[in-house]
Amino acid sequence: MSDHNSGPRALADPVVDITDLYAFPSPDRAGSLVLVLDVFPNAEPTALFSDAVDYRFRVRPVTISRGAGAAFAVSEREYTISCRFAELAARQGSGPLVQEGKCTASTGQAVSFRVNDERDGNADGLRIFAGRRMDPFFFDGVRAFKTMMTGQLAFVPVGESRQFRQNVLSIVVEVDIAATFGADAGWLFAVVGETATAGSITVRLERFGRPLIKSVVLAAKQFDTVNRDLDIRDLYNQEDAFKLGQTYLGAYRARMNANLPFWDGLDKKTDWPPDAHGNHPLTELLLADFMVVDASKPFSGNSYLEIERALLKGADHESCGGRTPNDDIADTFLTMLVNAGNGPRISDGVDGQAVPASRAFPYLAPPELNPPAKIELSLGNKAA
Amino acid sequence: MTIRGGATAASGEAIDADVRTTEGVLALVNLGAQIDGQERQAAARELDVSGQAEFIELVALRGHVLGCIADYEWAERLAEQLVSDSPSDGVAFLARARARATFHRFTDALTDLDKAKRLGADPAVVDVDRAAIFQALGRYDQALAIYSDAAERRADFGSLGALATLYAERGETAAAERCFDESRERYRGVSPFPLALLEFRRGVMWIMQGELQRARTWLAAAHRRLPGYAPAQGHLAEVEASLGETDSAIARLRPLTISSDDPDYAAQLARIMSEVRRVEEAVEWRARAAVRYEELIVRHLEAFADHAAEFWLEAGDDPQQALWLAQKNVEVRQTPRAYKLLERARVATGTATAV
Repeated sequence: MSDHNSGPRALADPVVDITDLYAFPSPDRAGSLVLVLDVFPNAEPTALFSDAVDYRFRVRPVTISRGAGAAFAVSEREYTISCRFAELAARQGSGPLVQEGKCTASTGQAVSFRVNDERDGNADGLRIFAGRRMDPFFFDGVRAFKTMMTGQLAFVPVGESRQFRQNVLSIVVEVDIAATFGADAGWLFAVVGETATAGSITVRLERFGRPLIKSVVLAAKQFDTVNRDLDIRDLYNQEDAFKLGQTYLGAYRARMNANLPFWDGLDKKTDWPPDAHGNHPLTELLLADFMVVDASKPFSGNSYLEIERALLKGADHESCGGRTPNDDIADTFLTMLVNAGNGPRISDGVDGQAVPASRAFPYLAPPELNPPAKIELSLGNKAA
Repeated sequence: MTIRGGATAASGEAIDADVRTTEGVLALVNLGAQIDGQERQAAARELDVSGQAEFIELVALRGHVLGCIADYEWAERLAEQLVSDSPSDGVAFLARARARATFHRFTDALTDLDKAKRLGADPAVVDVDRAAIFQALGRYDQALAIYSDAAERRADFGSLGALATLYAERGETAAAERCFDESRERYRGVSPFPLALLEFRRGVMWIMQGELQRARTWLAAAHRRLPGYAPAQGHLAEVEASLGETDSAIARLRPLTISSDDPDYAAQLARIMSEVRRVEEAVEWRARAAVRYEELIVRHLEAFADHAAEFWLEAGDDPQQALWLAQKNVEVRQTPRAYKLLERARVATGTATAV
């Protein structure tokens, strides 16, 4: 019976699906930067990393150019932290599956580790954990979607997050900056997380800079009069975050210039007036889709986008920026989009995960042993 | 030797080297993890329609890879439930169409595809599924029109792979080889399943052409990429048996009779044992295959008529039963292969029409 079949379809592959990126100064080790890459949403106990994927962090020093057209000036110098995993080791009876991994910095340091082993790999200025953790992300994505469909803010005081008590595969790397990047690396960095094929030909599969860009800023097509039928996200995923190609740059710009005013207009006033060419003031900033973190500042649990907001104001930033697992980035981002901070804080009604991340390595909470069924709300089925 | 550029008699090493994918055992573990997770959600009836459709597709994929008919049946039940729960969602009907097509209920599947389109499922996706059914029914020209149009709009792994399998079935090997190569070159993922399936289909094409060494190359590639891939393993055994490598064929088939609930592997063992005069073992494998085919014919006549007919023509040694099944098969699908099977059955029963 297996002889009937259409041609093989490419299916979504969770091992390359990046769910999140975090970057923050270590609260545990001075002079260290923590980088977290989460993949494989709703990871069950047997989920493992692919041996054919390069899970990597790309880190570049960045400076802030002030004045008109203030922007981040990203160095061409790049430090890469690459994590690769082996095939499954032979199983010992009915014991757990064993997978080994190796984390290598482009500067030469390397450390080996075992997946899910909390006795972290630690050598040469690199400390690493990779394995299943509780997904630290929290956001009422369904009501965000409803907002985009209805044109009205649909969030409620107590929202629901589809990631509530679900698990992911996490890679947590703590980098001694001076030992790994060198004493002249500086402290202000742009960070991107990527999954790429690990074969002889490297193909970028996904990239991640700031959260909610693909879902909240780029996903909706209905406002885009230029490319209404174009699903931009696959194209966007394959771009080099530090050097966007020219082919689709206009399409990304058009999509952002269409969707960002939608969010701005939800409170019935314009806080982000477009320029003479119709460009939204946040478009270029968000197109530069990387996380900016200042490792010279102390760890802060609520600093997401502070560096970017200071840049826009022409002021010095005060915090480390970046992103920590407990940071309510959704509220911060929604407020920035809707009222630029000129009004009440916009909240999606979800303030944290069931178990918050800790301040001790590997920071992310241990996996939930009995994840609930994932919450899926149909629009209008449940009382707002 | 490089595959890129269309080399056809590639070495195994070249095939393995040019497109690296997640190691097969690891990928199967992760597939199981995905299915477990989605089953948990589906059991609580909290997955949306797209999520359930994806879940059904994963279960069906595992059914194909591991030769697990129980998984196919599970996917079918899930699809029926999905339509019952979401009667106004085109995605539900698309999922059920695929499940029905798996069991060769092609008329019902086409009806579901019509409904899926009316209810807003992506027309391009629906058309490709329709083309797959046309191909299964032997309506090759209609299938070719759809696949060609899809490849013209977007020449990617999927559209070129579909064209390749159609050309393969039509015996147009040069065109098929070109499309198989181009499809491979456009693959942009690390999941081994789509590529292993493509390699498997390429191997099957060469079996149909009688080019057993070329068949072995591609079937072995599929098996290396995905060691648990039952159809690849089973067809490799078929090739080895045809080449006289009986011991190797038997060694491949034995574990499949345990891991898979498809009687095809027991049937192959029965045939091989009979050919090498291991009579007692042939009888035992024949009995096992017969029991299982009899069960499956009751539940899924359309899906198993052809393989069951082949069995009863060979190790099963019941030409009358084979003739009845071959006739049923032709009623379902009017392909050259179905007509050849019917002709063989008629010859075996002495009812062939004189030319």
